[in-house]
Amino acid sequence: MTEPLQTQPLLSVRGLSKRFGGLVAVNDVSFDVQQGDLVSIIGPNGAGKTTLFNLLTGQLAPSAGHVLFEGKGIGTLSPDRRARLGLGRTFQISQPLVSLSVIENAMVGAFLHHPGLAAAARRADEVLHLVGLSDRAGVRAGTLTLSERRRLEVARALATDPRIVLLDEVMAGLNPTEVVEIADLVERLNREGYTFLVIEHNLKVVRRFSRRVIVIERGAKLAEGSADDVLRDPRVVEAYIGRKRA
Amino acid sequence: MSLENGDHKVTQPILASLTRPQPATARLVPVKTFLGEMPLALLVLAMLLGLVTLFSGDSFTLNTLATALLFAGLSSAWNIIGGFGGQFSLAHSVFFAVGAYTTANLYLRAGVSPWLGLIPAAALAALVACVLSWPVFRLRGPFFAIATMAFTEVALALGNYMEWATGGTRGMSIPFRPGLANMIFRDRFSYALLMLGFAALCLMVVIAIKRSRLGYYLQAVRDNEQAARAAGIDVLRVKLKGMAISAALTGIGGGLFLMQVRVADPSALLSLFDFGVKFALIALIGGLGTIYGPLLGALLVIPLESWLRAELGGLMPGANLIALSVCLILASLFMKQGIVGASGRLAILAGRRWRR
Repeated sequence: MTEPLQTQPLLSVRGLSKRFGGLVAVNDVSFDVQQGDLVSIIGPNGAGKTTLFNLLTGQLAPSAGHVLFEGKGIGTLSPDRRARLGLGRTFQISQPLVSLSVIENAMVGAFLHHPGLAAAARRADEVLHLVGLSDRAGVRAGTLTLSERRRLEVARALATDPRIVLLDEVMAGLNPTEVVEIADLVERLNREGYTFLVIEHNLKVVRRFSRRVIVIERGAKLAEGSADDVLRDPRVVEAYIGRKRA
Repeated sequence: MSLENGDHKVTQPILASLTRPQPATARLVPVKTFLGEMPLALLVLAMLLGLVTLFSGDSFTLNTLATALLFAGLSSAWNIIGGFGGQFSLAHSVFFAVGAYTTANLYLRAGVSPWLGLIPAAALAALVACVLSWPVFRLRGPFFAIATMAFTEVALALGNYMEWATGGTRGMSIPFRPGLANMIFRDRFSYALLMLGFAALCLMVVIAIKRSRLGYYLQAVRDNEQAARAAGIDVLRVKLKGMAISAALTGIGGGLFLMQVRVADPSALLSLFDFGVKFALIALIGGLGTIYGPLLGALLVIPLESWLRAELGGLMPGANLIALSVCLILASLFMKQGIVGASGRLAILAGRRWRR
């Protein structure tokens, strides 16, 4: 028996391209993300990871190609429409709602499916518990540390009850201990059933938790597979690691 | 495999906490509800009622109080979109004038009691607000403020031109026919009560919004539009909702003001300094985006203004305005979060001293 989840990927990217004038930032990229997946997109600086991310979240409109979410084309929808469909996201530069408290930040996400104040507060409380920010619930979001802000980003995204969560370099700028903490968090949430698509620069982290890795180089997909296979691929080593060690 | 087994133990309690949130943490959630705000709100309103009753024999003070309470309501209404939503509208005198002229025309031409006339006044003000702000809501910060300021100027020109609705430059006047149904009273006390009622209405609406999804969405939009969108918020829709409610209350305020002064001409109603900017200023002085800020601001600025006019008005033309401006500049320099923010900071400082 074939599972229906396997026949229709949750997120499907087909021939996606983005040109800025003469520069092709993303070139004919295709991949699928299945329900329950934890997929990482890696690539050297300037490879087009962030542009690809922005195409998926609706920050940018594609020049060509399609983004399918549960089989429906969402390539031209606004970011908020995508969020309402179940596409949660975090920002690389975390964007806390500074005048609100931590729990109120999470509530802003929770209101999407829990219009009442009490229900939203309860859902926000749950997600803060999940990401380990419960003891900071009453604190103003502007006073959080970088690592806590990242957790808050994840909490606000989770509070919208997303079908898939897109993480934009959640580890950037964190110290090694914090990186492990956040990586553990993402891994744990994935085991609890959340689907993740992660843009990441940190190769160690990618190796640690990704089920599948997609390597982007000069806007195009270079390789795709399990973390170990991909990181051993000579083309990837040359494009990414080789260049770094040269 | 052994690793997975080990991890499994960690996930177990988390899953349990997901399905059964602890009642202990649920009680600790520091989120205030509408009912939670009521004790303080009712206390404040009771104190204001006491104040009005205390001065019931003094018609000069009652007049000042009535004006202060009217502006408390109007600034609270402005605060919904300007404070919570962060959209610094200077077009509110337009909605104010729409409310005033709707009430006046319905009363003078169709004999509709102003009490009933306030309903279409609110509706029309909200409609005008939505139509006007729709195209300019894509502008941010000062650009939005400038665009809305231009609306006031255009409305002034239109108001002078449309004599059939506004009486043109000659203005309109409402004959003095006292009676509850006409909302015209012989005594000043009734007007003060009327304005207190308006301030109470605005305060309740403000609290209801602040403690609701719309309030949080407005604040999210103010803090960070991009983050708001990522949380699934339709930014334009939230701004329009906030603007419509804010304008509706402003329209009611316009109707009440008109019935109190019983004369109206476009250059008075659409004066930027007397209304459009003053709503924003009072909210700024009191505390932008706070529940009681506009109330406090109005109770401070309006009496100060009338006192300065009485004391300095005869001294030198404009001396009272200079003194008022100096006060406003000092307030904006040293109380960036208004009276509410400053007193909050003072309380924290005092608390620290006390503990030492």
